[in-house]
Amino acid sequence: MVAADLSMEDLYKRSLERPMGGLKSQRVMAIARALLRRASFFTNYVIAFALILVLNFTLPRFMPGDPFQAIYGEEALLAMTPQLKAQLVERLALDQSMGQQFVAYILALASGDLGHSYYYNQSVLSVILDFLPWTLLLTGSALVLSTLLGLFLGVESGYRRGRRLDKALLAGLMFLNGFPDFFMGIVLLLVFGVVLGLIPLSGALTPYSGLSGLALALDILHHLLAPLAALVLVRVTSAYLLTRNTMITTLKENFILAARAKGCSEGQIRYRHAGRNSLLPVVTATGLSIPQMVTGALFVEIVFSYPGVGSLLYNSLLTRDYPLIQGILLMVTVVVLAGNLLVDLLYSRLDPRVSHAR
Amino acid sequence: MHVSVWREVAGSNLGRAGLLLIGAMVLLAIFAPVLTPYTPRENTSTPAFSRPSEDHWLGTNDARQDIWTQLLYGARTSLSVAFGVALLSGFISVLIGGTAAIFGGLYDRFWMRVVDATVAIPDVIVIILVAAYLRPNVLLMILLLSALSWPGGARVIRAQTLTLKERMHVSASRTFGAGPYHILLRHIIPDLGPVLVATMIQDARRAVFMEAGLSFLGISDPSVMSWGKMMQYARVFTYLEVWKWWLLPTGIALSITLIGLSFIGFALESALDPRLREREKGHDGGI
Repeated sequence: MVAADLSMEDLYKRSLERPMGGLKSQRVMAIARALLRRASFFTNYVIAFALILVLNFTLPRFMPGDPFQAIYGEEALLAMTPQLKAQLVERLALDQSMGQQFVAYILALASGDLGHSYYYNQSVLSVILDFLPWTLLLTGSALVLSTLLGLFLGVESGYRRGRRLDKALLAGLMFLNGFPDFFMGIVLLLVFGVVLGLIPLSGALTPYSGLSGLALALDILHHLLAPLAALVLVRVTSAYLLTRNTMITTLKENFILAARAKGCSEGQIRYRHAGRNSLLPVVTATGLSIPQMVTGALFVEIVFSYPGVGSLLYNSLLTRDYPLIQGILLMVTVVVLAGNLLVDLLYSRLDPRVSHAR
Repeated sequence: MHVSVWREVAGSNLGRAGLLLIGAMVLLAIFAPVLTPYTPRENTSTPAFSRPSEDHWLGTNDARQDIWTQLLYGARTSLSVAFGVALLSGFISVLIGGTAAIFGGLYDRFWMRVVDATVAIPDVIVIILVAAYLRPNVLLMILLLSALSWPGGARVIRAQTLTLKERMHVSASRTFGAGPYHILLRHIIPDLGPVLVATMIQDARRAVFMEAGLSFLGISDPSVMSWGKMMQYARVFTYLEVWKWWLLPTGIALSITLIGLSFIGFALESALDPRLREREKGHDGGI
């Protein structure tokens, strides 16, 4: 049967399986165009990253005064000996032209050398890697939680459009969204930490407690709760509003009427029919909100002295530890750009309209 | 789409609430010298950390400065940064977005590529990086924030201009021999109003937030009075009772400004969104 199909020919003895030449070349063109679009879409990220690199390179070198102080910060000058200075000049190619310095800078970065922090007396990369896991934990759980909560509240609110619960949720979340996240953190810290004494005032776990297993996990959760709540309370609104808007438009569609006529339960209509339509825009919006979430987490960490990259950044700003500041901002940029790229790719997978669009 | 900005914002509860909050803040900022007998850096004769009293409505801080006065002058900084960024960034958006849509071609593609790349950059990070070196004052802060916030607006303005330029009256004007600048100034920009105001309000909101954030991190010009800086100092003293009249009012003032701006912005956006627009009169997005 299959073989017969394959050998099928039309009136002019041309195989029906094979499309005509013109069509084929059209398809090739379409694929080429799609690849080109994909490439131009990568270039945006490449340009953005290059811009950050150039900024990182030029800022300290064009500051008035000693480039040493601008590149290494004040801590380094205290530890400076003539030998060390000579060594550093050679390493950064400071005695050579700007072009050569830039090449040296890029080569060092490519080999994973982000510089040396004289405050911590460690390489910048290892300092950052010590602090990064806590930030990833905080940001990741805040992203997931605010998206899920936003979806749930949006569906329930959009379904009850104009009723009391909807109005209360809309006004309440709009209000919460107005708070800057670090002030939300301060309020939570003051109320639950200082006044009520329910949450720890700083840190990510109780030091020297010797806890392990479940007790350790609970301890970490206890410390995570307030910073996480601060982020989620402020950031839930975008997913909520998006879901609510999609709900409102979707509920007017004919297939909802059909589902009702079929006798689907209200819960099924709410989530299986209407709610799932908002998944796609919400996933995209979540991806796009990664930068804001990361920077929000940096500020919230400072408030709670949570030992993540944000607290590290604050410290390095106070001590003017420039290599560390640069390293942190470069790392955060990489994380953010990678996250956005991932979402872009995921999105074209999830929504066939995007990849087939002209 | 002929939308009157004023009618839409003032016609919704959310918009009215936002206007009220921002209006109050602007008044406090303008009349700051009338509303307080002190200057923000003056070391008064009252002891440090004194409670709120008739002389000092919000008490004094660790350096015997009047907190109410600092709050008022902080509003000046926040609002001038917001106003400056909204104007400058809005201006660049119209200039780039509008001309890109009208001229089209290579010019359009060049600017849209620039916009795409700049939008991909996490702007807060760039601002922190630059501020860490330059410690910006108000003017530099406005330039810095505008440099990073115009691309988003330019994209919106370009899209809107593209639809506007196909309108009948624009074609008519072109038939009568109008040049691109005449069309831009006389026919497009007046109709861009609502979209432009919406992006400007968004820019202003981000500017207030970023100014406070940068001063909270301690990387703005130390001689400028700012809410973020007040919160940075006050945060150290949470073990004392002073946070009740130092840290909290400052944060609330900042939040009120931000909330006011987002309410106005939300009222405008739901007026501009055609999907949410088909609704009862004077009824925005459900509220």
